[in-house]
Amino acid sequence: MEDRKFTKEHEWVEKVDQIIIIGITEFAQDQLGDIVSIELPKVGSSFKQNEAMAIIDSVKASSDIYSPVDGEITETNEKLLEQPELINQSPNEEGWILKMKPNNPEQLDSLLSKEQYNNLVGQSKE
Amino acid sequence: MNYIPHTKEDISKMLSVVGCSTVDELVSEFKPRLSELNLNNPMSEMELVAYMTSLSEKNSQMKCFVGGGSYDHYIPSVINHLVSRGEFLTSYTPYQPEASQGILQVLYEFQSYICLLTGMDVSNASLYDGASALAEAALLSSAYTKRRGIFVDAGLNPEYLKVLQTYCDGTDLVISNTIDENTACVISQNPNFNGEIKNPTGLIEKTHLNNSLFINCISDPTSLAIIKPPGEFGADIVVGEGQSFGIPKSFGGPYLGFMAVKQFLTKKLPGRIVGITTDGKGNEGFVLTLQAREQFIRRERATSNITTNQTLLALTATIYLASLGKTGLQNVARASYHNAHLLQEKLRKKGIDIVNTNPFYNEFLVKTPKSTEKIIANLAEHNIFGGIDVGDNKLLVCCTEKNSLQDIDLYVKEASI
Amino acid sequence: MKLIFEYNQANTKHTPEEKDVDVPKELKRENLLLPDVNEVQIIRHYTELSKKNYGIDTNLYPLGSCTMKYNPRVNEDIAKLAGFSNIHPLTPVNQAQGALEVIWELQEDLKKITGMDAFSLQPAAGSQSELLGIMIAKKYFAEKNENRTKIIIPDSAHGTNPATAAMCKFQTVTIPTDKRGNMDLDEFKKEIGSDVAVVMITNPNTLGLYEENLSEIKNLAKENGALMYCDGANMNAFLGISKPADQGFDMIHLNLHKTFSTPHGGGGPGGGSLGVKTFLEDYLPVPRIKKENNEFVFDCNQEKSVGKLHSFYGNFGILVRALAYVRSWGTDIQKISKMAVLNANYLFSLLKEDFDVPYDRRCAHEFVISAKNLGEKSTINIAKRITDYGFHAPTIYFPLIVKEALMIEPTETESKETLDAYANILKIIIKELKEEPELLKNAPHTTPGRLDEVKAARQLNLRWAPQE
Repeated sequence: MEDRKFTKEHEWVEKVDQIIIIGITEFAQDQLGDIVSIELPKVGSSFKQNEAMAIIDSVKASSDIYSPVDGEITETNEKLLEQPELINQSPNEEGWILKMKPNNPEQLDSLLSKEQYNNLVGQSKE
Repeated sequence: MNYIPHTKEDISKMLSVVGCSTVDELVSEFKPRLSELNLNNPMSEMELVAYMTSLSEKNSQMKCFVGGGSYDHYIPSVINHLVSRGEFLTSYTPYQPEASQGILQVLYEFQSYICLLTGMDVSNASLYDGASALAEAALLSSAYTKRRGIFVDAGLNPEYLKVLQTYCDGTDLVISNTIDENTACVISQNPNFNGEIKNPTGLIEKTHLNNSLFINCISDPTSLAIIKPPGEFGADIVVGEGQSFGIPKSFGGPYLGFMAVKQFLTKKLPGRIVGITTDGKGNEGFVLTLQAREQFIRRERATSNITTNQTLLALTATIYLASLGKTGLQNVARASYHNAHLLQEKLRKKGIDIVNTNPFYNEFLVKTPKSTEKIIANLAEHNIFGGIDVGDNKLLVCCTEKNSLQDIDLYVKEASI
Repeated sequence: MKLIFEYNQANTKHTPEEKDVDVPKELKRENLLLPDVNEVQIIRHYTELSKKNYGIDTNLYPLGSCTMKYNPRVNEDIAKLAGFSNIHPLTPVNQAQGALEVIWELQEDLKKITGMDAFSLQPAAGSQSELLGIMIAKKYFAEKNENRTKIIIPDSAHGTNPATAAMCKFQTVTIPTDKRGNMDLDEFKKEIGSDVAVVMITNPNTLGLYEENLSEIKNLAKENGALMYCDGANMNAFLGISKPADQGFDMIHLNLHKTFSTPHGGGGPGGGSLGVKTFLEDYLPVPRIKKENNEFVFDCNQEKSVGKLHSFYGNFGILVRALAYVRSWGTDIQKISKMAVLNANYLFSLLKEDFDVPYDRRCAHEFVISAKNLGEKSTINIAKRITDYGFHAPTIYFPLIVKEALMIEPTETESKETLDAYANILKIIIKELKEEPELLKNAPHTTPGRLDEVKAARQLNLRWAPQE
């Protein structure tokens, strides 16, 4: 299993064979506060890199989830529809949001490494 | 007439705290300063009442036999006294729920009444009016299905169709006359504009087979006391006009739009929604909820920009439904139905052509042998507002519980067919 | 907390009893599960609920940009006159001249106040007015064959602005606010171009500050052929002092339930309106009102009209109230704004030392302060504690660009005593924040106390349902 990659929009991306799994980071869920619902895209729909594909709602805020690469949705975490709080409780594991098949896996190389992402978060904490 | 409590002394003290010598200085940023304002001289309360009363007296109050989206139902006295209470009238949207439990509970009761009447699962806390509620339902359907076609069944109130068309033009939706893979929703008014009650089962089946949403539109919801509710027929969305529930005709507004949906569309409902929750000690209370749907949070990702609703009218409708209760609402609906059928029968006996062959509620269409305009004019001379001229020598007539037997006989006599 | 559905009593006969109807069985309703409640209980039930509700009649209600001014009772009586409330909207116009005259006269007064050439009073609220304005802009540019896809909005704008733009399929371009509280002119210059349809400005903006660069913004917009739209929610700051048309706007919407005193009613009904310059007049919704030989008529013959937004003519009952309000003030109307601005600046001066001031400038009719230096979540806690003192919190956490924001608009109908009392309460609460923070964290000490909004959204209970 390869190391996870990250985006500037606070998403983590994990590559497993031909598929990538996407979720939001610990930092992101903390910023959002208590999550009350999520709007998931339809399986089979396609998105370009940086296009908004899902929406997470907390009590007082609403945030887009952006596609890290060009690709097609293969699976979504339907559990989140009934239990959105899983994203707060376990953003890195049970709170995974969706799976995609990237059109051009090389796009993943342009994402942030764990170190680069931690720097980004460190900066915004100042 | 002056609602500004400041004395000269107050103003002077306040200016010195602010650090300005004149009030004029405080507003000097607003440029260009206008040189002349051509309004009337200020009026005292007495003068104002005289002026506005004289305007009101230029409007004729006639015995009403007209519907078409605004209905002359009896308004129980109790409503006005409760709705005028300052704590309701002068309150704001309940963003601080602990200070607004009264209004929040009323809206929760309103939402519940709408669900009970329509047979649906969830309702919002009201929209502007029936026409815009229908437009919002079309927007909802488009967002949900990701399609842009809107199919409208024949028999929709023509003014509602115009509003729907305007919203569609502005938001890039298309009203089409086929149900196909582009169709987001199928819209049907029941009872329709001509007053006819239809069984929507076949159309609903066709809609669902097409993976579209079925929207039922209701113009006079007192009909729901005696007609099977759209939720039981399988509608996905029900919208309509709540003016019949204790709201004065008031030359067209303010009225009361409502929208109720099946469970699966809950998070797509536009407008405000009230829910029950608890405080830290387990006491139950009411709050506005699912607010992240709304424009002030979603901003450019909101499906609708709607902010203000029609709370005071929702309060009015709630008190109306409570006052009438099951028995009272049934009586209102039955009387409306009986009176309309009685008038239609009497007109038929006098030689007028009946157009409705289907069952109808409180509105019916007749074909007049003479010009419709003339009949309306004859009736107006006897202080009767006799119907809506819908063209082709056809007249749309309405009755409610308020039309007495004498009124009906006078109508038949003076229509001069 | 008893719901109306939990009663089971003898019905009060408001209308006579009736026999059942013979609707075909497949269409007939079988169960109507509404309660019957006696009138005595109705009065008690809703009177009890009214006591659990705070309104302008209770005490100061200083919500920023809502203009919670006193709602004149005489306007309520006037709107209830049978000659207004009992008239069917389809009454032939020759028998509804008084109603058309109300709409006409209000339109004329609003034209005079704003300097706009034509008005529509059909929109039911501010957001519907915005929708109308953007639809008009869309049609206007479509007819000129100009492909304009963008709408420019400051980041301080009310959520309805970008939401309306998105509804009409425009792209929102957000301009940041500069250090002085104005829309950043340099950033604006980068974005303005011939692909911009509308520049939507609130003036004074939601920070309560006059847009100092308005003139330049207007010139740049005009140079690039973009329309200037004024979100008139803050008109209470300059009624009868300056005209939006003279400031360079092509369109303005006014909220009748804000500036023009019609009651908020717990969240509605409102009253919208859209004023436009002559070149946009033909796009206004139908029916228009025309005056022919001293008689008023409806004119539906407007080819270029965007169509219709309301089943009839708008919130007529609200228009009656607004007309009464404007007529009662007449040429004295600028007293409203002058006192509104004085009250805001006075309250602002009283509170400056206790809070963080994001923009230290003279304010208009409202101001924004911040509790960010008082600790995390201090704003929500202060807001909840205000309830314990018999007042209402201001708008909080808006505008979004100020952390821990409190947006305060007293309006002109508040006395100096009330403002002094409010400032005093806030100072007491800040002292409590430092010395007895638990008092705030557990506020308000009402029943129910602070309600769990997360639970409300996660465990949805949105209606009463009968037990099976």
